[in-house]
Amino acid sequence: MTSWIVFRREIAQFLTTPFAYVIGAAVLLLTGILFNRDLNISFSTKPADPALVPGILSFAMVFFAPLLTMRMFAEEQREGTMELLLTAPVRELSIVLGKFLGAWAYFTLLLLLTGVYQVILLSITAPDLGHALSAYIGIWLYGGATLTVGMVFSALTENQIVAAFLGMVALMLLWLADQAGQLFSNIDVAIIFRTMSLQGHFSTSFASGLMRAEDVAFFAGIIAVMLFITAQILESQRWHG
Amino acid sequence: MTKAMIEVTRLTKRFGDRIAVDHVSFLAKPGEVVGLLGPNGAGKTTTMRMLTGFLPPSEGGAKIAGHDIAADSLNARRNVGYLPERVPVYPDMTVREYVFFWARLRGQRDARARADAVIAQVNLSERRDTLIRNLSKGMRQRLGFAQALVHDPPVLILDEPTIGIDPRQVIEVRDTVRELGRTKTVLFSTHILSEAEHTCDRVIILHQGRIVAQGQPSDLKRKLRPDATLEEVFLSIVGAERGADK
Ligand SMILES: Nc1ncnc2c1ncn2[C@@H]1O[C@H](COP(=O)(O)OP(=O)(O)OP(=O)(O)O)[C@@H](O)[C@H]1O
Ligand SMILES: [Mg+2]
Repeated sequence: MTSWIVFRREIAQFLTTPFAYVIGAAVLLLTGILFNRDLNISFSTKPADPALVPGILSFAMVFFAPLLTMRMFAEEQREGTMELLLTAPVRELSIVLGKFLGAWAYFTLLLLLTGVYQVILLSITAPDLGHALSAYIGIWLYGGATLTVGMVFSALTENQIVAAFLGMVALMLLWLADQAGQLFSNIDVAIIFRTMSLQGHFSTSFASGLMRAEDVAFFAGIIAVMLFITAQILESQRWHG
Repeated sequence: MTKAMIEVTRLTKRFGDRIAVDHVSFLAKPGEVVGLLGPNGAGKTTTMRMLTGFLPPSEGGAKIAGHDIAADSLNARRNVGYLPERVPVYPDMTVREYVFFWARLRGQRDARARADAVIAQVNLSERRDTLIRNLSKGMRQRLGFAQALVHDPPVLILDEPTIGIDPRQVIEVRDTVRELGRTKTVLFSTHILSEAEHTCDRVIILHQGRIVAQGQPSDLKRKLRPDATLEEVFLSIVGAERGADK
């Protein structure tokens, strides 16, 4: 119930903040340009990639996720509404969950908008819809996980710029872990690296049309753990006032 | 004797080595307006923040409406309406959306009706659909009251509610506090002594985190001399403390 109330406030916030629209526009512009390029190539050399947009986003979220979440707690701190939230008869985790669902819903909306590209593709060729769907489900979960990483840093610092920067660094390291994993010739080391990275659970499965329960569980687990950590950070901030 | 709604026992808060609230104990009953008085940095806000469940005490404890603020925090918080020193607002919400939000978050079933009722109570009905960013300071203060009252709590904790508003509105706030104090327990902080004198049934004088005097304003005055203002009482007490420190 608390989460639902916070969720509604959060989604209203996303839909009325110009900055959220700027990020939305950036996402659509970036994916649109790359989709257009891929489409042009597809006429001559190779077939269009049904997992193209999710693939782009799997890198782009390194930057977009922290931008979407940076103001989440910083603004409440600045306006002092955090003090009211934390003295209301509600649990931190419910607040955190509501805020996450708001951000995730906004991300979902952006994903649905990129569905236009699939419709265009569909009208031109016959793309592998199963592959596309798998990639979209993957990026939806992956995106949720990156948002929770962003939230941890938003809760850690009152400074939005710092929150965004640290979130990007963390996500970039996780992304690099996956890239590093691809370089290792030793298969065991490679697997360890890619298992630790967020992206490895997307790029090696969902992105190539493979839906594995363990990857779904991995993202669900990351989301749960990060939300829990965020709630703990809020709780611990009471000690500093 | 009626049950105490606020029961504070040796409440203490340390920030590192600095002790902000030092073994404070007092009781407040229903229908009582208690003034928390003290200069800047006396520990008023910190005391209130512990009572509202925002800050955990370093030592000691308190009960709100019989619920322990640490062990039974959610129930304690349910019984408190809190107006922080600087009214916390969401600038992009309208008056109505804002009060409705807090009504729902505090579990009010008929949230919309409750929100409209308290908005009327604080005379903001005409501004119901105004964005909070466009409200004057006095109106924001009233909005803060609406938020604190929306769940009809038996205990009200008001941190310097008259700061930064014009004299006419100060009088309005005092009247409101006295009115609310007829049925509720009100803890009200200020560093303006005459204000406490006019509004409170009882005052607690805090200095450097400790209670240096408490009682009815008239009693405190009598202790010094009959025609003393609370101002003078306060200065003499604080002055004596300073002397003792040396
Ligand atoms: N979060 C904090 N960290 C460290 N010290 C703090 C913190 N909050 C308050 N203090 C210190 O505790 C003491 C009491 O502060 P408090 O804000 O409770 O005083 P106050 O009576 O409300 O003063 P004012 O009239 O200025 O509002 C001060 O010395 C203050 O510097
Ligand atoms: Mg204060």
